[in-house]
Amino acid sequence: MKNKTFISRFFVIVISFISIYPFLWMLLLSFKTDTQIMNAPFSLPEIWNFDNYKRALGVLKLPVMYKNTILLVATTQVIGLTITFLSSYCLARMQFKSEKLQKNLYVFLLIGLIIPSYLLLFPLYRIIVALNLQNTYLSLIMPLTGMAISFNTLIFVGFLRDFPAEIEEAAIMDGCNLRNLCTRIVIPIMKPAFATLIVFNVIYVWNEYPLSATLINDSKKMTISIGASLFKGSYGTDYSGMISAAVLIIVPQLIFYILLQKNIIEGMTAGAVKG
Amino acid sequence: MRWLSKTSNKIIMLLPTMVVYLVFIIMPVFVTIYYSLTKFTGIGETVFIGFKNYQNLFKDPVFFMALKNTCIVLVMTLLILLPLSFTLAVLLEHKFKGSELMKGMIFAPYVITPVIVGVIWIFILDPHIGILNAILRALHLDALALEWIGGIKMTAYSVSIVYIWQVLGFYTTIFIAGLRQISSDIHEASQIDGASKLQDIFFVTIPMLKETITIEIVLIITGAFKIFETVQQLTNGGPSHTSEVLVTYMYFTTFTSNRYGYGMAVATIAFLFSALCSVLYLKNASSQMTQGDSR
Repeated sequence: MKNKTFISRFFVIVISFISIYPFLWMLLLSFKTDTQIMNAPFSLPEIWNFDNYKRALGVLKLPVMYKNTILLVATTQVIGLTITFLSSYCLARMQFKSEKLQKNLYVFLLIGLIIPSYLLLFPLYRIIVALNLQNTYLSLIMPLTGMAISFNTLIFVGFLRDFPAEIEEAAIMDGCNLRNLCTRIVIPIMKPAFATLIVFNVIYVWNEYPLSATLINDSKKMTISIGASLFKGSYGTDYSGMISAAVLIIVPQLIFYILLQKNIIEGMTAGAVKG
Repeated sequence: MRWLSKTSNKIIMLLPTMVVYLVFIIMPVFVTIYYSLTKFTGIGETVFIGFKNYQNLFKDPVFFMALKNTCIVLVMTLLILLPLSFTLAVLLEHKFKGSELMKGMIFAPYVITPVIVGVIWIFILDPHIGILNAILRALHLDALALEWIGGIKMTAYSVSIVYIWQVLGFYTTIFIAGLRQISSDIHEASQIDGASKLQDIFFVTIPMLKETITIEIVLIITGAFKIFETVQQLTNGGPSHTSEVLVTYMYFTTFTSNRYGYGMAVATIAFLFSALCSVLYLKNASSQMTQGDSR
């Protein structure tokens, strides 16, 4: 029995190590020179200095990329959560003359869950061109908000359905109006749902690539994933520069992940478990 | 709630979501289908040509190459990811010293920007600068030091491995959530009946996890059809389209060679195939489930 536990623990440890090995490997590579990377794969860096990082920072416009990405993430979250909260609250709590209509609207809003984003790339590009919004953040904000609607609706309506409406009824009896009801009572109650969605959507928008690459080609508006996708072009055969740039992008993500690990794992798997 | 359910309130609350959803999600699907029936190169007229793009698609060797590679990724993922993530979930379900840390380590690749995942793995899989071949050569296994990426044969398999590495933690966590829903009484009962640990897993746990397994398989199917960033970074479909998957090929025809109509036909077919696989599987799974119930 002891032996079996040992083998199974060992197996888990090996897999965990494989999971983080590529990160450790790139960290090590980022201190090597190009010749070392190509000719002496097992050697340790000769000199531990930050030359590669300095060079990487010279090419990579990291501050601009971070500023753009944070701006994009924040706007999509504020707009997306506000509008889907309102519509979900309406669909979960309000009385409709036709209950069938209410149910159909809810199901209609969930269809987006099965629409893959690659199906939307070119039409969105056409719509953005038709609206004359190329190379603006609005061109990304609106589609990315749209892509969050189905999942937000699923989580919000699901949460409200599990939560009795009595407190809200009582508040209305006491003369609370709709705005106060939402801001003072419902939103505080729904904090866990908001937390799940923020984690999920922030990571999604932060990492989003195909849509941004299609709609944005102005280097001043570049997001982190677009910047990362240009590594091959901007570094050519400067492998050590490329890997250092990758480290610079990954480290903040990993720190964020380590700090919020539990919430992130919960948030990112919530949809699958609930759906 | 009745007092607040005025029609005007409802409209104000629903309208913004509905407008964004209709304009940016629902309408584009129809636009895609429309363009897939036309010939359009970006300049000049959009000519309606019916199903010609689809007919050409089934004569296009590159399309079949992309379809084949996508299927390789799908089959590899089903064969490796499913048992592996299940095993890990069984081993990690009950907490032990360090189990949370290991769960965190396994999940980490899933939160990293997918584009960077491609960049990292270049330094492992590249035939010349990658560590994998360096290790194989050092072990005098030169025959095994293949062109993992950039060659003709191996890229789809390499992409599968990278993809499995990337999503392993996600699927493991879903299995753990499923395992925790099974009451411990059931395991105790099977133990009292004399079932070994393995018997417990095969005859108690797996049958009770049917719903979770169904979710996982549908996610794997739709996920495999969506793979894009990794392939784009590793090989960009090359050399001469041999490592193309459906979405990279769609991207190439649409945005690189400006055959918009044709590209949209590729997108539509990719979506239809993934939907078809999911539906066929779900039908099969649900008929099996009802059979199981009647027994």
